[in-house]
Amino acid sequence: MNIAYVGLLRLALAFLLYANLTFGGGSATVATIRGAIVERNRWLPDEDFSHVFAIARLTPGTNLLAFCCGIGWLLRGWRGAVVSLLAASIPCAVITAAVMATVDVLARNALFTAGLRGAMATAVGVTAVTCWTIVKPHVSRATQWRVIAVAAAALIAQAVIPPFYVLLAAGAVGFLFPRTA
Amino acid sequence: MNAFVLFLVLLKATVTSFAGLASISVVRDELVVHRHVLTDQQLNEAVVVTRSTPGPVGLYVVAVGYQAAGIPGAVAGWAAMTAPALAILPLLILFRKYLRHPRVHSALQCIVIASAALLLATVYPFAKSAVTGPVSAIAALVTLPLMVRFKVDPALIIFGTVLVGMSMYALSLTTYL
Repeated sequence: MNIAYVGLLRLALAFLLYANLTFGGGSATVATIRGAIVERNRWLPDEDFSHVFAIARLTPGTNLLAFCCGIGWLLRGWRGAVVSLLAASIPCAVITAAVMATVDVLARNALFTAGLRGAMATAVGVTAVTCWTIVKPHVSRATQWRVIAVAAAALIAQAVIPPFYVLLAAGAVGFLFPRTA
Repeated sequence: MNAFVLFLVLLKATVTSFAGLASISVVRDELVVHRHVLTDQQLNEAVVVTRSTPGPVGLYVVAVGYQAAGIPGAVAGWAAMTAPALAILPLLILFRKYLRHPRVHSALQCIVIASAALLLATVYPFAKSAVTGPVSAIAALVTLPLMVRFKVDPALIIFGTVLVGMSMYALSLTTYL
């Protein structure tokens, strides 16, 4: 599977829809975007998707926006990066400003808060599934123990050191000990 | 507060952090402790509001900007939130240039695995705050087979559970949610 040619308008619409309308933070949004551009539209191979996801974790600021920018760049170069970044950030920023202006009214609305509680529960499941979908392309009979070892070490390390350094350490381990065929 | 100064303050916070809420300590130090533009309560409110709106958690800087300087402040917050994302481009160019090198490929593979593990580490604290009763627990669990086995779009599942939550309110059953 190769990287598909995607029109800038289609790209903008995809990020407009999937990056701005998903509750539950970045991980739930990544799962939604993956479903749209890898599984349904087949714009990008899974491997490229997970590479961008990993590098976005090493980028300063909001990882999700770096991720959207990176996907846009892979699909349509610099213009795709800018279009994806704007489409992924402007509508939700407008929603946030609007909610801030009406926060007292919304917080008292029990119907709104009940709907929100339902959405947040689903986001837990979506986040758990995302972990598997990200790591799945790298799992095979030959790599399963390596995957388990790196994942377990990262899980233990994140309790004591900041995530950025965990990722750097994982990268250093991978660089120093490449898997032999 | 001047919107440009606010942009610089928020940019300093976002560019020196590597996750949505990680910048909050710098924001608090600048706007609450030193400049007295916000209170702790307002900062908390900004975080809570962005957890209840769609989009990334890092959006809280837009809410903070709005509280500090109205609409121009929200624009400053948006600019400070989006600008660091462009830093991924040189990183991507660098990694992809050397992707076929076994060591670089291996390094990237380990970063992908570790990033998935870090994501997994967020599931438990997230579940503790989001799963408040039997129905929300079922919603969280049912999501797994719906996505993995039946390939249902997560946006549809989330929309469905919003409707479930609202229906439970209409039926006065929110204690089970």
